[in-house]
Amino acid sequence: MERLHLEKELGNLRLKALEMGSLTEKALSQALKSALERDGGLAETVLDGDTEINRLHCAIDESVLSILAREQPVARDLRFILGVGQMAANLERIGDQAVNIAERVILLSQRPALPHNPLMEELALHVQDMLRRCVGSFNSDDADMALQVCDMDSRADTLNMKILKHYVDFMIQESRAVERAVHLIIMARCLERVGDQCTNIAENVIFMIKGVDIRQTCRP
Amino acid sequence: MSQTVKMEARNLNFYYGSFRALEDVSLLFLEGQVTSLIGPSGCGKSTFIRCLNRMNDLIPGTRVEGALTLDGENVYDAKLDVVELRRRVGMVFQKPNPFPKSVFENVAYGLRVNGIKDKNYIAERVETSLKSAALWEEVKDRLHQSALGLSGGQQQRLCIARAMAVEPEILLMDEPCSALDPIATQKIEELIFELKATYTIIIVTHSMQQAARVSDMTAFFYMGRLIETDKTETLFTRPRNKQTEDYITGRFG
Ligand SMILES: Nc1ncnc2c1ncn2[C@@H]1O[C@H](COP(=O)(O)OP(=O)(O)OP(=O)(O)O)[C@@H](O)[C@H]1O
Ligand SMILES: [Mg+2]
Repeated sequence: MERLHLEKELGNLRLKALEMGSLTEKALSQALKSALERDGGLAETVLDGDTEINRLHCAIDESVLSILAREQPVARDLRFILGVGQMAANLERIGDQAVNIAERVILLSQRPALPHNPLMEELALHVQDMLRRCVGSFNSDDADMALQVCDMDSRADTLNMKILKHYVDFMIQESRAVERAVHLIIMARCLERVGDQCTNIAENVIFMIKGVDIRQTCRP
Repeated sequence: MSQTVKMEARNLNFYYGSFRALEDVSLLFLEGQVTSLIGPSGCGKSTFIRCLNRMNDLIPGTRVEGALTLDGENVYDAKLDVVELRRRVGMVFQKPNPFPKSVFENVAYGLRVNGIKDKNYIAERVETSLKSAALWEEVKDRLHQSALGLSGGQQQRLCIARAMAVEPEILLMDEPCSALDPIATQKIEELIFELKATYTIIIVTHSMQQAARVSDMTAFFYMGRLIETDKTETLFTRPRNKQTEDYITGRFG
Protein backbone atom coordinates (compact mmCIF):
# COMPACT_ATOMS: atom_id res chain seq x y z
CA MET A 1 0.00 0.00 0.00
CA GLU A 2 1.41 3.36 -1.00
CA ARG A 3 -0.13 6.68 -0.23
CA LEU A 4 0.32 7.93 -3.75
CA HIS A 5 -1.85 10.96 -3.26
CA LEU A 6 0.00 12.08 -0.17
CA GLU A 7 3.36 11.39 -1.84
CA LYS A 8 2.32 13.63 -4.69
CA GLU A 9 1.21 16.42 -2.39
CA LEU A 10 4.47 16.21 -0.46
CA GLY A 11 6.43 16.19 -3.71
CA ASN A 12 4.65 19.35 -4.85
CA LEU A 13 5.32 20.99 -1.53
CA ARG A 14 9.01 20.12 -1.79
CA LEU A 15 9.15 21.63 -5.27
CA LYS A 16 7.51 24.85 -4.14
CA ALA A 17 9.94 25.13 -1.24
CA LEU A 18 12.92 24.56 -3.53
CA GLU A 19 11.61 27.12 -5.99
CA MET A 20 11.21 29.60 -3.17
CA GLY A 21 14.72 28.75 -2.00
CA SER A 22 16.25 29.42 -5.39
CA LEU A 23 14.32 32.68 -5.85
CA THR A 24 15.51 33.83 -2.45
CA GLU A 25 19.11 32.92 -3.25
CA LYS A 26 18.76 34.87 -6.47
CA ALA A 27 17.27 37.90 -4.68
CA LEU A 28 20.08 37.95 -2.15
CA SER A 29 22.82 37.57 -4.72
CA GLN A 30 21.32 40.27 -6.94
CA ALA A 31 21.01 42.62 -3.97
CA LEU A 32 24.64 42.05 -3.04
CA LYS A 33 25.85 42.37 -6.61
CA SER A 34 23.93 45.64 -6.95
CA ALA A 35 25.60 46.87 -3.76
CA LEU A 36 29.05 45.95 -4.97
CA GLU A 37 28.51 47.49 -8.39
CA ARG A 38 26.39 50.41 -7.17
CA ASP A 39 23.77 49.33 -9.68
CA GLY A 40 20.41 50.95 -8.85
CA GLY A 41 18.73 49.26 -11.81
CA LEU A 42 19.67 45.79 -10.59
CA ALA A 43 18.47 46.74 -7.10
CA GLU A 44 15.05 47.57 -8.62
CA THR A 45 14.77 44.01 -9.96
CA VAL A 46 15.15 42.71 -6.42
CA LEU A 47 12.18 44.82 -5.32
CA ASP A 48 10.10 43.50 -8.22
CA GLY A 49 11.14 39.89 -7.62
CA ASP A 50 9.90 39.95 -4.03
CA THR A 51 6.27 39.64 -5.12
CA GLU A 52 6.89 36.16 -6.45
CA ILE A 53 8.62 35.08 -3.24
CA ASN A 54 5.68 36.34 -1.22
CA ARG A 55 3.25 34.57 -3.53
CA LEU A 56 5.07 31.28 -3.09
CA HIS A 57 5.10 31.74 0.66
CA CYS A 58 1.30 32.08 0.63
CA ALA A 59 0.95 29.09 -1.69
CA ILE A 60 3.09 26.95 0.62
CA ASP A 61 1.11 28.01 3.69
CA GLU A 62 -2.08 27.08 1.91
CA SER A 63 -0.78 23.63 0.93
CA VAL A 64 0.51 23.01 4.45
CA LEU A 65 -2.89 23.82 5.93
CA SER A 66 -4.72 21.72 3.40
CA ILE A 67 -2.48 18.66 3.77
CA LEU A 68 -2.70 18.87 7.55
CA ALA A 69 -6.47 19.05 7.41
CA ARG A 70 -7.02 16.38 4.80
CA GLU A 71 -4.26 13.84 5.27
CA GLN A 72 -3.61 14.03 9.01
CA PRO A 73 0.04 13.17 8.46
CA VAL A 74 2.26 11.69 11.17
CA ALA A 75 5.93 10.96 11.82
CA ARG A 76 8.35 12.08 9.07
CA ASP A 77 5.47 13.37 6.93
CA LEU A 78 4.27 15.56 9.77
CA ARG A 79 7.77 16.82 10.49
CA PHE A 80 8.36 17.51 6.83
CA ILE A 81 5.17 19.51 6.44
CA LEU A 82 5.70 21.59 9.56
CA GLY A 83 9.34 22.06 8.61
CA VAL A 84 8.50 23.31 5.12
CA GLY A 85 6.01 25.78 6.59
CA GLN A 86 8.67 27.22 8.86
CA MET A 87 11.29 27.17 6.16
CA ALA A 88 9.00 29.16 3.85
CA ALA A 89 8.44 31.76 6.58
CA ASN A 90 12.21 32.13 7.02
CA LEU A 91 12.87 32.31 3.28
CA GLU A 92 10.24 35.01 2.99
CA ARG A 93 12.08 37.04 5.63
CA ILE A 94 15.36 36.51 3.85
CA GLY A 95 13.64 37.89 0.74
CA ASP A 96 12.64 40.92 2.81
CA GLN A 97 16.25 41.42 3.90
CA ALA A 98 17.32 41.36 0.25
CA VAL A 99 14.72 44.06 -0.40
CA ASN A 100 16.02 46.11 2.54
CA ILE A 101 19.52 45.90 1.14
CA ALA A 102 18.36 46.78 -2.38
CA GLU A 103 16.50 49.85 -1.10
CA ARG A 104 19.69 51.10 0.48
CA VAL A 105 21.63 50.43 -2.70
CA ILE A 106 19.16 52.64 -4.58
CA LEU A 107 19.80 55.47 -2.12
CA LEU A 108 23.57 54.96 -1.93
CA SER A 109 24.09 54.65 -5.67
CA GLN A 110 23.01 58.30 -6.03
CA ARG A 111 25.66 59.45 -3.57
CA PRO A 112 29.46 59.38 -3.76
CA ALA A 113 30.87 55.95 -2.87
CA LEU A 114 32.50 55.33 0.50
CA PRO A 115 35.80 53.42 0.58
CA HIS A 116 35.55 49.72 -0.18
CA ASN A 117 35.14 47.59 2.95
CA PRO A 118 36.47 44.02 2.66
CA LEU A 119 34.66 42.98 5.87
CA MET A 120 31.35 43.79 4.20
CA GLU A 121 32.26 41.66 1.24
CA GLU A 122 33.29 38.80 3.48
CA LEU A 123 30.01 38.96 5.39
CA ALA A 124 28.06 39.03 2.12
CA LEU A 125 29.85 35.95 0.79
CA HIS A 126 29.52 34.19 4.13
CA VAL A 127 25.74 34.51 4.46
CA GLN A 128 25.25 33.67 0.78
CA ASP A 129 27.16 30.51 1.46
CA MET A 130 24.95 29.81 4.50
CA LEU A 131 21.81 30.24 2.40
CA ARG A 132 23.10 28.00 -0.37
CA ARG A 133 24.00 25.31 2.12
CA CYS A 134 20.77 25.38 4.11
CA VAL A 135 18.66 25.12 0.96
CA GLY A 136 21.04 22.40 -0.27
CA SER A 137 20.75 20.45 2.98
CA PHE A 138 16.97 20.51 2.57
CA ASN A 139 17.23 19.40 -1.03
CA SER A 140 19.48 16.47 -0.27
CA ASP A 141 18.18 15.54 3.21
CA ASP A 142 21.63 16.19 4.58
CA ALA A 143 21.59 16.79 8.33
CA ASP A 144 25.38 17.14 8.49
CA MET A 145 25.36 19.96 5.98
CA ALA A 146 22.59 21.64 7.98
CA LEU A 147 24.67 21.38 11.12
CA GLN A 148 27.55 23.14 9.35
CA VAL A 149 25.23 26.06 8.65
CA CYS A 150 24.41 26.36 12.36
CA ASP A 151 28.14 26.47 13.09
CA MET A 152 28.65 29.26 10.56
CA ASP A 153 26.33 31.69 12.31
CA SER A 154 28.79 32.98 14.90
CA ARG A 155 31.16 34.16 12.15
CA ALA A 156 28.34 36.26 10.69
CA ASP A 157 27.72 37.81 14.12
CA THR A 158 31.40 38.61 14.58
CA LEU A 159 31.70 40.20 11.16
CA ASN A 160 28.61 42.30 11.78
CA MET A 161 30.06 43.61 15.06
CA LYS A 162 33.37 44.42 13.36
CA ILE A 163 31.59 46.31 10.61
CA LEU A 164 29.58 48.26 13.15
CA LYS A 165 32.72 49.25 15.00
CA HIS A 166 34.44 50.14 11.75
CA TYR A 167 31.69 52.55 10.67
CA VAL A 168 31.28 54.04 14.14
CA ASP A 169 34.98 54.96 14.06
CA PHE A 170 34.57 56.14 10.49
CA MET A 171 31.68 58.46 11.36
CA ILE A 172 33.73 60.11 14.08
CA GLN A 173 36.26 61.10 11.41
CA GLU A 174 33.89 61.82 8.52
CA SER A 175 30.83 63.63 9.75
CA ARG A 176 29.64 64.29 6.18
CA ALA A 177 29.38 60.53 5.56
CA VAL A 178 27.22 59.75 8.57
CA GLU A 179 24.04 59.02 6.62
CA ARG A 180 25.78 56.71 4.14
CA ALA A 181 27.64 54.95 6.94
CA VAL A 182 24.38 54.35 8.81
CA HIS A 183 22.93 52.73 5.70
CA LEU A 184 25.96 50.46 5.51
CA ILE A 185 25.58 49.53 9.18
CA ILE A 186 21.96 48.62 8.49
CA MET A 187 23.00 46.56 5.47
CA ALA A 188 25.43 44.60 7.59
CA ARG A 189 22.72 44.09 10.16
CA CYS A 190 20.40 42.77 7.39
CA LEU A 191 23.06 40.26 6.39
CA GLU A 192 23.54 39.17 9.97
CA ARG A 193 19.78 38.57 10.18
CA VAL A 194 19.95 36.46 7.01
CA GLY A 195 22.52 34.35 8.85
CA ASP A 196 20.07 33.88 11.75
CA GLN A 197 17.28 32.93 9.38
CA CYS A 198 19.52 30.43 7.60
CA THR A 199 20.32 28.94 10.98
CA ASN A 200 16.58 28.61 11.68
CA ILE A 201 16.13 26.82 8.39
CA ALA A 202 19.07 24.51 9.08
CA GLU A 203 17.62 23.66 12.51
CA ASN A 204 14.33 22.90 10.77
CA VAL A 205 16.04 20.62 8.29
CA ILE A 206 17.64 18.68 11.14
CA PHE A 207 14.23 18.39 12.80
CA MET A 208 12.65 17.16 9.58
CA ILE A 209 15.30 14.51 9.08
CA LYS A 210 16.00 13.37 12.61
CA GLY A 211 13.03 14.49 14.66
CA VAL A 212 15.23 16.22 17.22
CA ASP A 213 15.02 19.86 18.13
CA ILE A 214 18.53 21.25 18.39
CA ARG A 215 17.53 24.83 19.14
CA GLN A 216 19.31 26.13 22.25
CA THR A 217 16.14 27.91 23.30
CA CYS A 218 14.18 24.65 23.26
CA ARG A 219 16.55 22.74 25.52
CA PRO A 220 15.23 22.19 29.04
CA MET B 1 0.46 10.43 36.75
CA SER B 2 0.77 7.19 38.62
CA GLN B 3 3.62 4.98 37.53
CA THR B 4 2.40 1.75 39.08
CA VAL B 5 2.65 -1.22 36.73
CA LYS B 6 -0.84 -2.64 36.49
CA MET B 7 -0.23 -5.45 34.08
CA GLU B 8 2.88 -6.83 32.50
CA ALA B 9 3.66 -9.40 29.82
CA ARG B 10 7.17 -10.83 29.74
CA ASN B 11 8.29 -12.95 26.80
CA LEU B 12 4.75 -13.95 26.10
CA ASN B 13 4.30 -16.58 23.37
CA PHE B 14 0.98 -17.84 22.15
CA TYR B 15 0.23 -20.84 19.96
CA TYR B 16 -2.86 -21.85 18.03
CA GLY B 17 -1.91 -25.51 17.67
CA SER B 18 1.55 -25.37 16.14
CA PHE B 19 1.12 -21.80 14.84
CA ARG B 20 2.94 -19.29 16.98
CA ALA B 21 0.74 -16.17 16.90
CA LEU B 22 2.74 -14.19 19.48
CA GLU B 23 6.52 -14.20 19.76
CA ASP B 24 8.25 -13.05 22.90
CA VAL B 25 6.02 -10.08 23.55
CA SER B 26 7.12 -7.98 26.52
CA LEU B 27 4.90 -5.03 27.29
CA LEU B 28 3.74 -3.30 30.43
CA PHE B 29 0.68 -1.26 31.21
CA LEU B 30 0.78 1.50 33.76
CA GLU B 31 -2.17 2.11 36.01
CA GLY B 32 -4.54 4.80 34.78
CA GLN B 33 -3.06 4.94 31.32
CA VAL B 34 -4.59 4.27 27.94
CA THR B 35 -2.51 2.08 25.66
CA SER B 36 -3.31 1.59 21.98
CA LEU B 37 -2.30 -1.55 20.15
CA ILE B 38 -1.88 -0.99 16.44
CA GLY B 39 -0.63 -3.07 13.54
CA PRO B 40 -1.77 -4.69 10.32
CA SER B 41 -4.54 -7.26 10.26
CA GLY B 42 -3.44 -10.64 11.57
CA CYS B 43 -0.45 -9.33 13.54
CA GLY B 44 -1.82 -10.67 16.81
CA LYS B 45 -3.47 -7.71 18.53
CA SER B 46 -6.66 -9.54 19.38
CA THR B 47 -4.75 -12.65 20.36
CA PHE B 48 -2.66 -10.52 22.70
CA ILE B 49 -5.49 -8.77 24.47
CA ARG B 50 -7.41 -12.03 24.76
CA CYS B 51 -4.42 -13.40 26.68
CA LEU B 52 -4.80 -10.61 29.22
CA ASN B 53 -8.08 -11.96 30.61
CA ARG B 54 -7.55 -15.53 29.46
CA MET B 55 -10.29 -15.40 26.84
CA ASN B 56 -8.05 -17.60 24.71
CA ASP B 57 -8.50 -20.44 27.22
CA LEU B 58 -11.85 -20.96 25.56
CA ILE B 59 -10.19 -21.85 22.23
CA PRO B 60 -9.16 -25.51 22.13
CA GLY B 61 -5.62 -26.44 21.13
CA THR B 62 -4.04 -23.18 22.26
CA ARG B 63 -1.06 -22.71 24.52
CA VAL B 64 0.61 -19.83 26.35
CA GLU B 65 4.26 -19.48 27.34
CA GLY B 66 5.95 -16.71 29.26
CA ALA B 67 4.79 -14.54 32.11
CA LEU B 68 1.76 -12.38 32.50
CA THR B 69 1.08 -10.57 35.73
CA LEU B 70 -1.75 -8.46 37.13
CA ASP B 71 -0.67 -6.38 40.15
CA GLY B 72 2.40 -8.60 40.22
CA GLU B 73 0.43 -11.84 40.39
CA ASN B 74 0.65 -14.52 37.74
CA VAL B 75 -2.50 -14.48 35.58
CA TYR B 76 -1.92 -18.02 34.34
CA ASP B 77 -1.55 -19.47 37.82
CA ALA B 78 -3.56 -22.70 37.93
CA LYS B 79 -5.12 -21.65 41.24
CA LEU B 80 -6.36 -18.33 39.87
CA ASP B 81 -10.13 -17.78 39.75
CA VAL B 82 -10.80 -17.03 36.09
CA VAL B 83 -14.26 -15.56 36.74
CA GLU B 84 -12.72 -13.10 39.17
CA LEU B 85 -9.94 -12.33 36.67
CA ARG B 86 -12.51 -11.47 34.02
CA ARG B 87 -14.33 -9.28 36.50
CA ARG B 88 -11.13 -7.37 37.10
CA VAL B 89 -10.19 -7.30 33.43
CA GLY B 90 -13.31 -6.45 31.47
CA MET B 91 -13.64 -6.63 27.71
CA VAL B 92 -15.52 -4.85 24.96
CA PHE B 93 -15.56 -6.44 21.55
CA GLN B 94 -15.40 -5.09 18.03
CA LYS B 95 -19.03 -5.77 17.24
CA PRO B 96 -21.50 -4.69 19.88
CA ASN B 97 -22.84 -7.95 21.27
CA PRO B 98 -25.72 -7.19 23.61
CA PHE B 99 -27.64 -10.18 24.93
CA PRO B 100 -31.22 -10.55 23.68
CA LYS B 101 -32.46 -9.17 26.96
CA SER B 102 -33.56 -5.81 28.27
CA VAL B 103 -31.16 -2.88 28.55
CA PHE B 104 -31.28 -3.26 32.33
CA GLU B 105 -30.59 -6.99 32.32
CA ASN B 106 -27.66 -6.56 29.97
CA VAL B 107 -25.91 -4.28 32.42
CA ALA B 108 -26.98 -6.32 35.45
CA TYR B 109 -25.75 -9.55 33.89
CA GLY B 110 -22.18 -9.50 35.22
CA LEU B 111 -23.38 -8.66 38.71
CA ARG B 112 -25.75 -11.60 38.72
CA VAL B 113 -23.04 -13.93 37.39
CA ASN B 114 -20.89 -12.78 40.27
CA GLY B 115 -23.66 -13.84 42.65
CA ILE B 116 -24.97 -10.43 43.63
CA LYS B 117 -28.65 -10.46 44.62
CA ASP B 118 -29.29 -7.11 46.35
CA LYS B 119 -31.88 -5.45 44.10
CA ASN B 120 -31.15 -1.91 45.22
CA TYR B 121 -27.44 -2.37 44.74
CA ILE B 122 -27.98 -3.82 41.27
CA ALA B 123 -30.27 -0.95 40.24
CA GLU B 124 -27.73 1.54 41.51
CA ARG B 125 -24.83 -0.09 39.64
CA VAL B 126 -26.88 -0.25 36.43
CA GLU B 127 -27.66 3.45 36.62
CA THR B 128 -24.08 4.46 37.48
CA SER B 129 -22.64 2.31 34.71
CA LEU B 130 -25.05 3.63 32.11
CA LYS B 131 -24.20 7.15 33.22
CA SER B 132 -20.48 6.60 32.96
CA ALA B 133 -20.97 5.06 29.54
CA ALA B 134 -22.78 8.28 28.53
CA LEU B 135 -25.90 6.31 27.69
CA TRP B 136 -28.21 6.93 30.63
CA GLU B 137 -30.04 9.93 29.17
CA GLU B 138 -30.82 8.00 26.00
CA VAL B 139 -32.12 4.83 27.65
CA LYS B 140 -33.47 5.81 31.06
CA ASP B 141 -37.06 5.62 29.77
CA ARG B 142 -36.61 2.28 28.02
CA LEU B 143 -34.58 0.28 30.52
CA HIS B 144 -36.90 -2.68 30.24
CA GLN B 145 -37.11 -2.79 26.48
CA SER B 146 -34.90 -5.06 24.42
CA ALA B 147 -31.29 -3.96 23.99
CA LEU B 148 -31.47 -5.13 20.39
CA GLY B 149 -33.65 -2.11 19.64
CA LEU B 150 -30.76 0.28 20.32
CA SER B 151 -28.64 1.78 17.56
CA GLY B 152 -25.17 0.35 16.93
CA GLY B 153 -23.46 3.16 18.79
CA GLN B 154 -25.87 2.85 21.71
CA GLN B 155 -25.34 -0.92 21.76
CA GLN B 156 -21.59 -0.43 21.93
CA ARG B 157 -21.93 2.00 24.82
CA LEU B 158 -24.27 -0.53 26.45
CA CYS B 159 -21.52 -3.13 26.16
CA ILE B 160 -19.12 -0.70 27.77
CA ALA B 161 -21.64 -0.11 30.57
CA ARG B 162 -22.01 -3.88 30.93
CA ALA B 163 -18.25 -4.26 31.22
CA MET B 164 -18.05 -1.46 33.78
CA ALA B 165 -20.93 -2.64 35.96
CA VAL B 166 -18.72 -5.16 37.74
CA GLU B 167 -16.16 -2.44 38.48
CA PRO B 168 -13.20 -3.87 36.59
CA GLU B 169 -9.73 -2.43 37.02
CA ILE B 170 -8.73 -2.87 33.40
CA LEU B 171 -10.85 -2.41 30.33
CA LEU B 172 -9.84 -4.19 27.13
CA MET B 173 -11.41 -2.84 23.96
CA ASP B 174 -10.95 -4.61 20.67
CA GLU B 175 -11.73 -2.12 17.89
CA PRO B 176 -14.68 -0.70 19.81
CA CYS B 177 -15.52 1.91 17.20
CA SER B 178 -15.10 0.00 13.99
CA ALA B 179 -18.85 -0.24 13.45
CA LEU B 180 -19.66 3.27 14.60
CA ASP B 181 -20.31 6.60 12.93
CA PRO B 182 -18.13 9.63 13.78
CA ILE B 183 -20.49 10.95 16.44
CA ALA B 184 -20.76 7.62 18.25
CA THR B 185 -17.00 7.22 17.85
CA GLN B 186 -16.45 10.60 19.42
CA LYS B 187 -18.71 9.69 22.34
CA ILE B 188 -16.69 6.53 22.97
CA GLU B 189 -13.44 8.47 22.75
CA GLU B 190 -14.70 11.08 25.20
CA LEU B 191 -15.72 8.22 27.42
CA ILE B 192 -12.21 6.80 27.28
CA PHE B 193 -10.83 10.17 28.42
CA GLU B 194 -13.18 10.13 31.39
CA LEU B 195 -12.71 6.48 32.25
CA LYS B 196 -8.97 6.63 32.38
CA ALA B 197 -9.12 8.36 35.73
CA THR B 198 -10.51 5.11 37.15
CA TYR B 199 -9.43 2.38 34.77
CA THR B 200 -6.41 1.16 32.93
CA ILE B 201 -7.48 0.91 29.31
CA ILE B 202 -6.04 -1.14 26.48
CA ILE B 203 -7.55 -0.50 23.10
CA VAL B 204 -6.97 -2.19 19.76
CA THR B 205 -7.63 0.16 16.88
CA HIS B 206 -7.09 0.32 13.14
CA SER B 207 -7.41 4.09 13.18
CA MET B 208 -4.06 5.81 13.59
CA GLN B 209 -5.90 9.01 14.37
CA GLN B 210 -7.85 7.32 17.11
CA ALA B 211 -4.70 5.85 18.64
CA ALA B 212 -3.06 9.27 18.44
CA ARG B 213 -6.05 10.98 20.04
CA VAL B 214 -6.93 8.70 22.91
CA SER B 215 -3.86 6.91 24.12
CA ASP B 216 -0.93 7.76 26.37
CA MET B 217 1.14 4.86 25.06
CA THR B 218 1.07 3.14 21.69
CA ALA B 219 2.42 -0.29 20.83
CA PHE B 220 3.02 -1.42 17.26
CA PHE B 221 2.72 -5.14 16.48
CA TYR B 222 3.84 -6.87 13.31
CA MET B 223 3.68 -10.59 12.55
CA GLY B 224 3.20 -11.61 16.16
CA ARG B 225 5.99 -9.42 17.48
CA LEU B 226 5.97 -6.18 19.39
CA ILE B 227 8.07 -3.92 17.17
CA GLU B 228 7.98 -0.66 19.05
CA THR B 229 6.26 0.92 21.99
CA ASP B 230 6.55 4.47 23.16
CA LYS B 231 4.66 7.48 24.37
CA THR B 232 1.97 8.11 21.77
CA GLU B 233 3.29 11.60 21.11
CA THR B 234 6.77 10.25 20.41
CA LEU B 235 5.64 7.30 18.34
CA PHE B 236 3.60 9.53 16.07
CA THR B 237 6.21 12.24 15.67
CA ARG B 238 9.51 10.36 15.67
CA PRO B 239 9.17 6.60 15.70
CA ARG B 240 12.50 4.83 16.09
CA ASN B 241 11.72 1.87 13.91
CA LYS B 242 11.38 2.04 10.13
CA GLN B 243 8.56 -0.54 10.05
CA THR B 244 6.60 1.53 12.55
CA GLU B 245 7.13 4.65 10.50
CA ASP B 246 6.11 2.93 7.27
CA TYR B 247 2.98 1.57 8.93
CA ILE B 248 1.77 4.77 10.58
CA THR B 249 2.50 6.91 7.52
CA GLY B 250 0.56 4.44 5.37
CA ARG B 251 3.49 3.21 3.31
CA PHE B 252 3.32 -0.40 4.35
CA GLY B 253 3.69 -2.74 1.49
N1 LIG C 1 -8.87 -19.23 16.58
C1 LIG C 1 -7.78 -19.22 15.81
N2 LIG C 1 -7.24 -20.34 15.33
C2 LIG C 1 -6.13 -20.33 14.59
N3 LIG C 1 -5.46 -19.21 14.23
C3 LIG C 1 -5.96 -18.05 14.68
C4 LIG C 1 -7.14 -17.97 15.49
N4 LIG C 1 -7.38 -16.69 15.77
C5 LIG C 1 -6.40 -15.96 15.17
N5 LIG C 1 -5.54 -16.79 14.50
C6 LIG C 1 -4.35 -16.39 13.75
O1 LIG C 1 -3.47 -15.68 14.60
C7 LIG C 1 -2.92 -14.54 13.96
C8 LIG C 1 -3.24 -13.30 14.74
O2 LIG C 1 -4.65 -13.09 14.70
P1 LIG C 1 -5.37 -11.93 15.49
O3 LIG C 1 -6.83 -12.13 15.40
O4 LIG C 1 -4.79 -11.85 16.84
O5 LIG C 1 -4.91 -10.67 14.64
P2 LIG C 1 -5.32 -9.14 14.76
O6 LIG C 1 -4.07 -8.36 14.86
O7 LIG C 1 -6.34 -8.96 15.82
O8 LIG C 1 -5.97 -8.87 13.33
P3 LIG C 1 -7.24 -7.93 12.93
O9 LIG C 1 -6.71 -6.55 12.92
O10 LIG C 1 -7.58 -8.39 11.57
O11 LIG C 1 -8.31 -8.13 13.94
C9 LIG C 1 -3.48 -14.56 12.54
O12 LIG C 1 -2.55 -15.16 11.70
C10 LIG C 1 -4.72 -15.41 12.68
O13 LIG C 1 -5.01 -16.07 11.47
MG1 LIG D 1 -8.39 -8.40 15.84
